[in-house]
Amino acid sequence: MLTLGIDIGSTTSKCVLMEDGSKIIATGLKIGGLGTEGPEEALEELWAQTEYTREDIDRTIVTGYGRNKYEGADGEVSELTCHALGGRFIFPDLRTVIDIGGQDAKIITLGESGRMTNFVMNDKCAAGTGRFLDVMANILRMDIDELDECASHSEKPASISSTCTVFAESEVISQLANGVARPDLVAGICESVASRVGALARRAGVTPRVCMSGGVAKNSAVRHALERNLETEISFDPMAQYFGAIGAALYGYRQLTK
Amino acid sequence: MVQDVLKKFHEAAVSPRAQMDKYMSEGKKVVLTAPVYTPEELIHSMGFVPMGAWGADIELNRSKEYFPAFLCSIVQSILELGINGAYKGASAIVIPSLCDTLKTLGENWKYAVDDIKFIPMTYPQNRKPAYGIAFTKAGYERVIRDLEALGGKYDPAALAESIKVYNAHNAVMRRVDEVLAGHPEITAAERSDIFRSAFFMTKEEHTALVEEFLDELAKTEASGEKLGIVVSGILTDAPQLNKIFDEFGMHIVADDVAAQSRQYRTDVPEGDDPLEALAVKFAEMDNCSVLYNVKKPRVQWIVDTAKARNAKGVVVVMTKFCDPEEFDYVMIKKACEKADLPLALVEVDRQMVHFEQVRTNLETFRDMLSM
Repeated sequence: MLTLGIDIGSTTSKCVLMEDGSKIIATGLKIGGLGTEGPEEALEELWAQTEYTREDIDRTIVTGYGRNKYEGADGEVSELTCHALGGRFIFPDLRTVIDIGGQDAKIITLGESGRMTNFVMNDKCAAGTGRFLDVMANILRMDIDELDECASHSEKPASISSTCTVFAESEVISQLANGVARPDLVAGICESVASRVGALARRAGVTPRVCMSGGVAKNSAVRHALERNLETEISFDPMAQYFGAIGAALYGYRQLTK
Repeated sequence: MVQDVLKKFHEAAVSPRAQMDKYMSEGKKVVLTAPVYTPEELIHSMGFVPMGAWGADIELNRSKEYFPAFLCSIVQSILELGINGAYKGASAIVIPSLCDTLKTLGENWKYAVDDIKFIPMTYPQNRKPAYGIAFTKAGYERVIRDLEALGGKYDPAALAESIKVYNAHNAVMRRVDEVLAGHPEITAAERSDIFRSAFFMTKEEHTALVEEFLDELAKTEASGEKLGIVVSGILTDAPQLNKIFDEFGMHIVADDVAAQSRQYRTDVPEGDDPLEALAVKFAEMDNCSVLYNVKKPRVQWIVDTAKARNAKGVVVVMTKFCDPEEFDYVMIKKACEKADLPLALVEVDRQMVHFEQVRTNLETFRDMLSM
């Protein structure tokens, strides 16, 4: 039985093809989320990896912020549910998911059985999200993927005191003008994200095993800062960015086998 | 037919201006009543039509001349409507002192809306002791003087009659809340219309319409399987919010909403002095974020009500920057966790156009309750 999960996020579209709810067959990812082009390009990448075609799919489930406008799926489901399912698929003893996406941050707690027990979301504020990192990378004229490596050279992370992304932008510019080393600034930016998300996580309650999902999970500087902040180990899997899409595919499988 | 009566509720709920014009064309004077509690019985007894002024889902512009942009959008939208003439023709507005933002609304109203008289109603924090009741009564006497200046006439016998009218309305609203808990087929939007329309109709008319609705509903059989929830907050009348409740199969089996059931929980007790009795009513009111009570019985009330009505969870609809509600939320959350009662928090305000965050939140909550 083949199920396709599509996660249309605010900045990235992801898709995963699964067999019998247990095996990942192919994946696709395209930066550029909402709208029709992002998901379709991600799907093209996925189809290029497999001999299966759209006609072979038994069920397609879409999730993420773009889910309501996507045509061609058999159903839609919230991304929190999907991140919980996808995370638990990768880490069977998972109890807490920290999802930092392009536009928001979410914390999901799971019971021992894997049932979702609580969740919190930040509201319309870029602090503690991937967008915050995007803005800061832009000021520093760096690629978002370079932040991680740059932060690793920091000796004394700078303090970013502003909560608001707009004010933090001014603060970083001032610190740059005052000669603060770039690695220290980048490390401070990652600490800032961890501080916001850590506070959100404590609201929901943090039980090990904890993992990160979403694009920001790839940034080890943020991940390690969060580990220090929450005083717990945070698991990482290279598929972290696909947890939503995996969850959607699993959700479709559950519907078919219910 | 049930749907015919629901249509009447909807028409009244979405057209407060038409209701106001109707009453004024009948030669009646309208007095606006701001959130959260005002002595409507008194206003009614002095010959005015009390009409709820809880603002509207509109863009805020002029109100920002008087308020910081982040302040409670309910209060800001009331002032915005006042400035842009939506309440034109009203004789006065009674604004209580029940939260810090409401206090500033009254003061700003005097300067921003000069054709509608501001009548303050200052309530005591400690409302239950004898001195608190005396303070409330003195506040009502001030309202009487202001309404007399507008041509109203105070008569204790008339107040006693108005109290009967309002107590009867309270009773029918409590009944409809209870009956609707057993009727999942009545949508959240329709339930909202029933409560919202009460602000824009005379209580005599609304009582009659609710009774007609209950009679019609009794002829039908309850149908549909939905997730029972208790909703708590100041205001939950946004059409998009109720649409989401309905879309995700959520059935409001009880509410702790200031603009809904909180208004009708307490009757005026019987007594020789109706004004004193009205003050005692305020002393006896409770279970509300703006009614000071150090023991916070509201928290357990929510848990007990959810259990009594077999709710699967509680949804707190938080009006952004509402301090009293935010203070209580922490205690509500802890109490629900202790009672193993799932809880979701969604934030709303009067300017909200996009409800995507709310939608995702409630969709996930639905999954959490049903998976």
